[in-house]
Amino acid sequence: MRILLAEDDTLLGDGLRAGLRQLGFQVDWVRDGAAAERELASGVYAAGVLDLGLPLKDGLDVLQALRARKMTTPVLVLTARDAVPDRVRGLDLGADDYVVKPVDLHELGARLRALVRRSHGQPQESLRCGALVLDPAARLARLNEEAVGLSTREFDLLHALMLNAGRVMSREQLEQHLYSWGHEVDSNAIEVHIHHLRRKLQPALIQTVRGIGYAMARDGDGQAA
Amino acid sequence: MTPVRAPGSLQARLLALVLGLVAIVWLGAAVATWIDARHELDELLDGHLAQAAALLVVQQAGEGDDDGVADAPSLHKYAPRVAFQVFHEERLVMRSANAGATPMTSITRGFETVRLAGGEEWRVFATRGAKNDVQVVVGEQTASRNAILWAVLRSVLWPLFFALPLLALAAWWAVRRGLTPLRQLSRVLEQRRAQAVEPVVLDHAPLEMVPLLQALNHLFERIGGMVESERRFTADAAHELRTPIAAIRAQAQVAMGAGADEAQRQHALQATLAGCDRATRLVEQLLTLSRLEAAPAIHVTRLDLSALTRRVAAELAPAALARQQKLELEAPVRCEVAGDDMLLGVLVRNLLDNAMRYSPDGATIRIHVSLDDGATLLQMQDSGAGMSEAQMARLGERFYRVLGSDQPGSGLGWSIMRRIAQVHGAQVAVARSRALGGLAVTVRWPRTPAG
Repeated sequence: MRILLAEDDTLLGDGLRAGLRQLGFQVDWVRDGAAAERELASGVYAAGVLDLGLPLKDGLDVLQALRARKMTTPVLVLTARDAVPDRVRGLDLGADDYVVKPVDLHELGARLRALVRRSHGQPQESLRCGALVLDPAARLARLNEEAVGLSTREFDLLHALMLNAGRVMSREQLEQHLYSWGHEVDSNAIEVHIHHLRRKLQPALIQTVRGIGYAMARDGDGQAA
Repeated sequence: MTPVRAPGSLQARLLALVLGLVAIVWLGAAVATWIDARHELDELLDGHLAQAAALLVVQQAGEGDDDGVADAPSLHKYAPRVAFQVFHEERLVMRSANAGATPMTSITRGFETVRLAGGEEWRVFATRGAKNDVQVVVGEQTASRNAILWAVLRSVLWPLFFALPLLALAAWWAVRRGLTPLRQLSRVLEQRRAQAVEPVVLDHAPLEMVPLLQALNHLFERIGGMVESERRFTADAAHELRTPIAAIRAQAQVAMGAGADEAQRQHALQATLAGCDRATRLVEQLLTLSRLEAAPAIHVTRLDLSALTRRVAAELAPAALARQQKLELEAPVRCEVAGDDMLLGVLVRNLLDNAMRYSPDGATIRIHVSLDDGATLLQMQDSGAGMSEAQMARLGERFYRVLGSDQPGSGLGWSIMRRIAQVHGAQVAVARSRALGGLAVTVRWPRTPAG
C-alpha cells in the first residue's frame, strides 16, 4: 500500500516513514505543501498523511485544492492543532481522518488501512476471494485456512488486486501501488510476482486480461467470515 | 494626601466638609452680628444714659434748694437695673430707689464701667451742670445689656440649630445623588468577569469621570493585550512541543520495531535522542522568551560591545572551524553600550550561531562592530543562501522556521534576539548582504547621551 507522507519536520518525517515501512507501507515523503498537492494529485497513492503547518502551502489549502479537483484519495490529517474548531474545519474541508500529534505508529497504520479499505468499499479488515483470505493488519494470507508464505512485494501485489477486485489493473498501476520512490523497477517485475503468486495460490485466482493487465474476481459467494 | 490616611467614604467626607463649612460660616456670622450689635447697643444705650443725665442736670438747675433727698419711684420692671444720683454742691439731692448715697463713680464727666458694692457691673455716665454745682451720675447694669445681646445672638443661632440637621439631610441626599455615577461604575466593575477586557461604558458619565474611565479602559486594553499574548504564547508553545514529542515517539517505536535491523535501530535511537535535545532546547528557549516578555530583569552596565563580540566569537570559533567556515571579526574600537552583559551575550551568540548554522560548510561569516555618528552598530553578514523578502518578513514570528534547512532550530531564536534588542532600545534590520551575498543582520543602538 503506497502512502504519501507530507511532513516538514525532519525527525518526525524520518520516524514516520521508517515506522510505516516497518508496518508494510510503501512511503514517499515530501516536506512542503506544494509537493504534497502535486504528488497526491497524481492519484498513485492509496492514502496521504498530511501535516497542516506545511511550508509553501498550508495543509488545509492542499486538502481544499485536492477536493476541488475531485481527487478522492483518502487523506489523514496529522497535526499539532488540536482545537475542536480546527478538527471540524479539517474534516469539513475533506479530511477523512484527523489525528493530533503525537500518534502511535500502530494506530496510524490501522487508521490508514481503514481509510484505504473504506475508500475501496470494503467493510471488513480482511479481504476474501473464494478460499483465499488476506489480513492486511497482520500481513497474512490464508488459503483454505492455511497460511501462505508471501514476500512483501507479493503480499502488496495481492493486496492491491484484492482491494480492486472485479477491476482490471494495468501493469503500470500495479507498479505504482507497489514501489515508492528510489526503487528500480524491472520491466517484468510484475509478471514475475504474478507468476510466483499463481504458483503459491490457486493459478485461477488471478486472471490475465491480455494487453490490459490483471484482475481478481470479486468475492461473490456472500459468505461471511 | 498621605498614604497612611485611612480611606474614608467620599460621601462622608463631602458631607462633613459641607456641614462643617456651613457651621463655621454661620458661627462667623453670629460673631460678627454679636460684635456689631454690641457696638450699636452700646452707642444707643450710652446715648440714652447721656440724654437722661442731661435731663436731670437741666431739671436740677431749675429747681430750688431742697434739704431733703428725693427718692424717685420705680415705674418699670427694668427700673432696678437703671439708677441715677443727683448731687448739688457735693450733697446728694435726688436718687433712684436702687442707688446708694455715695457717688457711683469717682469721675465727674464721661463714661465708666464700675463694679459696685453689690458686686454687679454698671455702666455709668457722670456730668456736671453749667454752674458746676450740680453733679449727675446715671448708671445701668451691664448685665441688662448682655441680656439684650444674648437675645440677639439667640435669634441668630436658633435657626442654625434647627437648620443644620435639615441641611445635613439635604446635603446627604445631594452628595449621594451626585456620586451616583461612581456607584454605578463600581457596580459595573464588580460584575465584570476577571477575564473581561472590553471597555467599560457608562451612560451619562459626568465630565470629571471621563479621564478615569479612559484610563481604566486603556488599562483594560493593555491587560487584554498581555493576556492575549500570554494565551497565544502558551498555545503556541504547547503546539510546538507536540511535534518533537511526536518525533520522539515515532522514532522510539521504530527502534522497537527494528527487529534484526541493527542499523535502523541505531539510527532511530540517535534520532530519539536528537528529538529529546530539540525538545529540551525548545523548552529552554520558551523559558528565556517568557522571562524576557514578562519582566526583563535587566542588569544594566556600560560595556564594550567589541570585547563582548570578540569573546562570543572566540567561543563559537571551534564550531565554525569544524565546518571550514571562515569567521572574520572586525571590532577595532571600543564601542560602549548600556546593557545587560548576559542578555547581550545571548543576542550576539544567537546571531552568530544562526549565521553559522544556516550557512554551508566553507562559508564566510563577517562580524563588524563600529560607531556611526554616535550610534553603535553590530553587523553580521554571511555568504550563505540568504533569504527571500517573504522569509525576511516572517523572521521573528514565533516558531517560524526557514524551509529546507535541516537545522534543528526552534524558530524562537529570532523572537528572543528581537526581544533582547527591544529591551535594550536597539533596532534590528535584516537585508541581503551586498558584500557576501547571504544574509546581513544589523543591530543598531541609537546615540545615547554621554555619561
